[in-house]
This record gives sequence, C-alpha cells and structure tokens, in this order.
Amino acid sequence: MKRTLIFVFLLMLALSAFAGSSSKKGPSSTTPAVHAADADTMRMLGEQRFRANCGRCHAAPQKFPPRAMSTVLRHMRVRATITDEDMRLVLFYMTQ
Amino acid sequence: MGLKLHCRNQKSGFPRRWRKLLPRLVGILLLQCFATGRGQSQVIENEKPVPVVSGTAGFLTSVTAGQTLLDTQINPVLLVPLGDHWLVESRGEFEGQFQRQPGGGAFGGPVDKHLDYLQADYIANRYVTVTAGRFLTPFGIFNERLYPEWIRALQPDPLILPMATASSDGAMLRGGFPVSPAANLNYAAYVSATGIGVNGVESERHVGARLGFFFPHSRFEVGGSWQKALQDDRKNAFGFHFAWQPAAVPLSMHSEIVRSNQGSGYWVEGAYRLSQAQFWQKAMRRTELVAREQQFFSGNISSDEAQSLGLPGAGTRETDFGVNYFLKDGFKAVASYGRQFSSAGDFNQWTFGIVYRFLVPLGREGTP
Repeated sequence: MKRTLIFVFLLMLALSAFAGSSSKKGPSSTTPAVHAADADTMRMLGEQRFRANCGRCHAAPQKFPPRAMSTVLRHMRVRATITDEDMRLVLFYMTQ
Repeated sequence: MGLKLHCRNQKSGFPRRWRKLLPRLVGILLLQCFATGRGQSQVIENEKPVPVVSGTAGFLTSVTAGQTLLDTQINPVLLVPLGDHWLVESRGEFEGQFQRQPGGGAFGGPVDKHLDYLQADYIANRYVTVTAGRFLTPFGIFNERLYPEWIRALQPDPLILPMATASSDGAMLRGGFPVSPAANLNYAAYVSATGIGVNGVESERHVGARLGFFFPHSRFEVGGSWQKALQDDRKNAFGFHFAWQPAAVPLSMHSEIVRSNQGSGYWVEGAYRLSQAQFWQKAMRRTELVAREQQFFSGNISSDEAQSLGLPGAGTRETDFGVNYFLKDGFKAVASYGRQFSSAGDFNQWTFGIVYRFLVPLGREGTP
C-alpha cells in the first residue's frame, strides 16, 4: 500500500510540475487561430464544440444569463473535463 | 448539512505516520499549483461568474414486481466560483420513498438526505485541476456525468452502478486537454484517504485513476478506469467506457463495463431523438426513444453482501425500453418498462414520472 501511495503522489507531483512548466510557454498551438478569428467564426466554432462536448451527456440546454453560464461552464470544465479552449468557445457561443 | 468528522478505526494497513504525511503531500501539491498556475486569462466583467443554485427535482412512480413505490427527489447543486481559478461545489440529495404498508393503508416510508459531494476545485492551468474534499468517484462515466435525473435517459440505475463508485474523501488531480487536432485526453487520479463521515455514511479508502480520449470530429469517447481498495480485501476494480453521438443521426450511445471482486457486468444504452421523423414534427422532435441492455455476474462476495452494496444477489440480466418527452428545456416526462431475469426470480419494472432541471443565479446575471 505504501508503494501505491508513494507512486500515486509522485505521479501527481510530476504531472502537476509538467503541466505548470508547460503553461508558462504560452497558449497551445490552436489558440492563436481562435484569437485571430472574428466573432462569427468563434460562434461557429463555439457551436461545434458545444454540440460535441455537451452532447456527450445531455440534450442541448437553453442559453442562460452570461454570468450564470460562466459558472456552469466552469463546473462543466471540472465535471466533464472539457478543455480550456472548448470552455471559452462554448462560453462565447452561449453568451454572445 | 453538517460535516461530521469521525475518528475511524484505522487498521494496521494504514499506519499513523501516513496519516500525518498525506496532508503534507496534499499541501505541497496545492502550493505547487498556486506557484505554477498563473496562465489563465482574465474574465471580462459581463462574464464574471456568479454563484448558482441548480439541480433536479423529480417525481417518479415505479411498479417493481407488483410493488408500487413513489419516489420524490430534490438534488440541489450549489456552485460558488471564487476568483478566476476556484470553484466550490456541492450536491445534496433529499429523497422520499413511499410504499403502501403491508396489509394496506396509506403510503409511507423514509425520507433520506445526504451529501453527494462537497469539493473545492482549483483550476491550476489548462492541464490540471486540483480537487479536495468529498467528491464523486471518477470511475466510468455514469456516476459523475450521467447520474442526474434530468440527464439520464432511463431512470432506473444500471445494475453495476454501485461497483467502485462509493464517494471519495481526499484529493484528486484531473483535467482535459488536446493532444492532437483530432483528439482530447482527459484524466483523473485520486486518493481517498481520510475518514470524513457525512450523516454517518463513510467513504472508502482507495486510490484510482481514469484515462479517456475524446475525438470531437467523430464525437466518440473511450476510456478506462482503475481503482484499488486500501481496506478490507484490497482488491482491484477495472472499468471501460465509451460514448458516441454520431453527427448524422440524433443518436446517443453510452456503455460501461466493470470487473471487480464484487462482481462484473456491463450496460449499453442507446437514446434516439425522433427529430428526423417526417410526421407530427412538433411532437416528434421532443420525443426520445431509449433502450438499455445490461447484465451482472456475481463476484466473490456473498449474496447478502452484494445486496447490502446495492448489487443484485444473483446473476441478473435486464432489458429496458423507455420514452422521454421534453415538454420544455429541462422539463421532461419519462416512462420506461424493463424486465429482469435472474435465478432469484423474473419480474417487470415500470417507471413513470416527471423531471425538472432548475437553475437560479444568486447575483447579477449580466446582459446577453
């Protein structure tokens, strides 16, 4: 059991360290394309990501007020492990 | 909702120095994430998240082997975002199950209330979220993602749901990120080590992990789960899951397979929205047909033990069919029929009811 616990925590530390160092290098390769895109493209991408990600579990919900939607998407980012980029695009689609 | 700390009867397999060391390791982990997680962008004012109360309310009537059960449930979910990185979330469950007493008379029965999860999430960066507290165990997909009544396509639980899904009290790392333009990886690794009892219900000591890949273009997700108990028989449990929503048809497929000391089994479910029907279109696009096939194979525990865990006492096969009608967003009427085949006896199960999903922002809503 000790070995298992040590292994799990070392794995968590290593993963966290790796992720932290990676985040300092800047956004992933797909993000600049999204930033450069105009609002229509972002909405279209957002709708695609919305259908792909949210549809994994449930039918498409209605649009909620922006600040409530922002909370719900943060919850979904954790619960459904959707990616950071998908969360931002879906939020844009659901609020703009 | 009261959190009550229990001094659990620690067994020799979990020595005192580990009990002291674990909080320190979790602390180091959290500090590291604080130090490295400065890459998040600022949220514009209109999208600043506000606390939200959401959840499900449902009223279901089921008739199982001729016995009628009235089930009323309210599952409020509280979401409290803090700053750009934090989320405190909690779900409670209030459930009344009422049956007619033997010999006739009025319906009566217990009202159960418990806390499903109460967790703090720190979104460290695009790859890692750190969770601490009581959380839903990420084993398979049903327990974490498909459990709420407004989400599940069929209201009866899958037979294998109780396996490896006892709530966890401890810490977890999880996240999802793209590994290629065509695939996202998602993962969760967790330790349940402390003995936090909520209304007398204690969680298990275990470690585990889940790894999955989601292919957004084909809308296909596949993954596997592992869990090792750190108490009692200290056995391993393994799981496999997939989900698929083809773009061409309004079909949603989900499946899980589990193998553990307590038993093994599978369920596979398909839900088809009739939105492509060429007749009665207004009604058809609100209608969903569902079918589920599942099987449970007994494990290395006694029938009584299995039943105390919520598993069938003997090998069981079940087939269910259902129809859901979406009256409006988040409000649906449900009906299903299932037949269970088992050496302990075959029986029918009918379920009817309504389910409502609510969401109430607790603050300024922002302008759309």
